[in-house]
Amino acid sequence: MKELLTARKLGVRLTLALVVLAAVMFVCSLMGTESISLKAVLAQVGGQEAINPDYEIFVQVRLPRIILACIVGAALACSGVVFQALLRNPLADPYILGISSGAGLGTIIAVISGFSWTLWGRSPIAVFAFAGAMGTVWLVWFIGRVTGKSHVTGLLLAGVVVNAFFSAVIMFLTSIAKSQQMQTTIFWLMGNMTEEDFLVLWLGAGCVAAGMFALFYISPQLNAISFGEDDARSMGVNTARTRTIAFAVAALITAVAVSLSGLVGFVGLVVPHAVRLVFGPDHRQLLPLSGIVGAIFLVAADTLARIVVAPAQLPVGVVTAIVGGPFFLVLLVKHTHKVGWLSK
Amino acid sequence: MSTIEVNHLSFGYPDGHHFVIGRKTETRVEVLRDLSFEVMPGTFLVIAGPNGTGKTTLLNLLCGTLVPKSGSIRIDAAAIESYSTEALAAKVAVVRQEFVPVFGFSVIEMVLMARTPYYSQMGFENKADREIVSEALKATDTAHFASRTLSSLSGGERQRVFIARALAQNTAILLLDEPTSFLDLKHQVGIYDLLKRMQLEKGKTIVAVTHDINLAAQYADETLLLGADSSYQYGRARDVFSPEQIEKVFGVRIFSGKVGQEKFFIPLGKFAKDSRQAGSNPDSSRQK
Repeated sequence: MKELLTARKLGVRLTLALVVLAAVMFVCSLMGTESISLKAVLAQVGGQEAINPDYEIFVQVRLPRIILACIVGAALACSGVVFQALLRNPLADPYILGISSGAGLGTIIAVISGFSWTLWGRSPIAVFAFAGAMGTVWLVWFIGRVTGKSHVTGLLLAGVVVNAFFSAVIMFLTSIAKSQQMQTTIFWLMGNMTEEDFLVLWLGAGCVAAGMFALFYISPQLNAISFGEDDARSMGVNTARTRTIAFAVAALITAVAVSLSGLVGFVGLVVPHAVRLVFGPDHRQLLPLSGIVGAIFLVAADTLARIVVAPAQLPVGVVTAIVGGPFFLVLLVKHTHKVGWLSK
Repeated sequence: MSTIEVNHLSFGYPDGHHFVIGRKTETRVEVLRDLSFEVMPGTFLVIAGPNGTGKTTLLNLLCGTLVPKSGSIRIDAAAIESYSTEALAAKVAVVRQEFVPVFGFSVIEMVLMARTPYYSQMGFENKADREIVSEALKATDTAHFASRTLSSLSGGERQRVFIARALAQNTAILLLDEPTSFLDLKHQVGIYDLLKRMQLEKGKTIVAVTHDINLAAQYADETLLLGADSSYQYGRARDVFSPEQIEKVFGVRIFSGKVGQEKFFIPLGKFAKDSRQAGSNPDSSRQK
C-alpha cells in the first residue's frame, strides 16, 4: 500500500525545504555586481569598523531584496494552490480573479494623479495597489455570489471580465499618461524587487506567514473541497467557512505581494503544479511546500535578474518565465502519469 | 422508530428567468409536492421514476444539500436542519453520480478524506481512522489498487471507490445517486450485491436512486416510485413494481414476466419485433 503522508514525514520534508531555502538565500546574498566579502560583513556585525561598504551593500541592498523575493514567492505560490483548489481549475493562478489588474489600476491612478504627498515617508503606490487589489477581489466575489450558490463558473467569468475591463482602463490611462509616468507604471507592471524599508518588509512577511498558517490549518478541508462543494459538505466539511477563509486569505497575501513587488507572473501558476507533480495533490503538504519552493524559486530568479545583464537589471518576471517554463515542461513530461487532469 | 421520516415535503427550483440582482424571485418550478414516507432502519429503499420527477432532488434534500420549501425531513427523529454539517455527515453518507476529480488524488487519499471532520488539530488522521478506511477498502474490494489514481481506474472500480469513501464515513444511512448508470451488467450486479451485503451485514439503511427497475425489483425492500405531476407510490417493492404501474408512470409499453421469484420488465419500443405478442402475454398489461 502506498506510503501515506504523516505529520512526521511532512515535518521532515518542510525542514529540508527550509534548509534549502536558507542555503539559497545565503548563496544569493553573496552574488551580485559588486563582490562582497562575508568576512567584512561579519566584522561590521561584530561592531569593529565604523563604515564598511560591503556591509552597506549586504544589509541595505541585497538582504531586503532577498527577503522581499521570499515573501512574494511564498505568497504567490500559496495563493495559486488555493485558487486552483477552490476553483477546481488547474489553470487558476493568484491573478485569475482580477487582483493583478485591480492593483495595476490602483498603481496607475496613484502615478497619474501625481500625488506629491507621501504616506509615512513613502510613495502611495503600494497603498493604492493594495486597495485596488482588495477592491477588485471584493467586486468579483460579489458578482460571483449573485450568480448562484455554486458560483465557481460565475466567479471565473466575473474575474476574466473584470480583468479585461480594468486592463483596458489601464491601457487607456497609460496612453494618455506622460512618458515619465508611463515608465513608472510599466516598471511596476513587470514586477520589481526594490524595497528597502525593513519595517514594510517585516510587516509583509508577518502578513504572509500568518496567512500561510491559516491556510495550512484549513488544508485538509481544501482537499475535500477540491472534489466539489456538495461533495465536501456531505463529508462533513464546513464548506462556507473554508471557502471564505481560503478566498480572503489568498486574496490578502496576493494583494500584499503585488503591492510590494508589482506583478510577478508565473510563480503562482507553475510552482503549485511543479510541487504537485513531484509530491502529489495533498494540500496539507502542497501548501507549505509550495510556499517554500515559491520562495526559493523567486529568490533564485531575482538573483539571476540582477546578475545576468549586469550592471543593468532584468524584470524578474522575464526570468521566472524563461527559466521556469522549460523546467516545468520537463517535470510535466516526466511525471504526467501522476496528474488526474491530464490522463483523462 | 424510523430512521428517515419525510412529511409533506415540497420543493421547487427557482425559475431563473425573472432573476433580478438583489431581489429573490418566488417563481419556482415545482419538482416535489406533498411527499411523505418513512424508512425503517436497515431497509433497502429504491427511488425510481422518469427523468425530471425529482429523484436526485429528493436525494439532495435527504443529505441536506438542498433545503425543503415546505414540509419536513427528520433523520433519527431530529429535524434535518438541526444537524450541523459535521453531525449530518456522521449520519448520512452520499455517493453522487460519478465524476473525476481535477487533481490526481490516489484511492486511499480519497477514501481517507471521508475522515476529514475527525482529524486532529494538526490535520492528520489517527489509527482508528486508518482502520475504518482499510475496512472500507476491504469491503468494497478496492484495497489492491489503493495507491492508484482515480483517473486510472475503470468505471466499476471508480464507483466502488466512491462507495468505499461513503462507507468510511461510518454512517447508518447510505444514499446513492444512480450508482450503476455507467456500468456493464456484471458490474451493475456487483454494486448491488455490495450494497445488499452492507445492508444485511452492517444493518445500513440504503437509499438508491436508479433507472434500472429490474435490479431495483430484485434488491429493494421498499420502493418510492415518483411519477409526473408530483404523484408518487410508496410501498413494498413487489407491490409497487407492477407492469401496469410502470407503464403508467413511464409512459412506455412493458413486457413483463417472472423468472422464479423475480419479476422482470422489458420496455417495448415502436419497432420491437415481438410487439404484437407482448400484448398477449398473460403477465403483461394492455397496450396503450
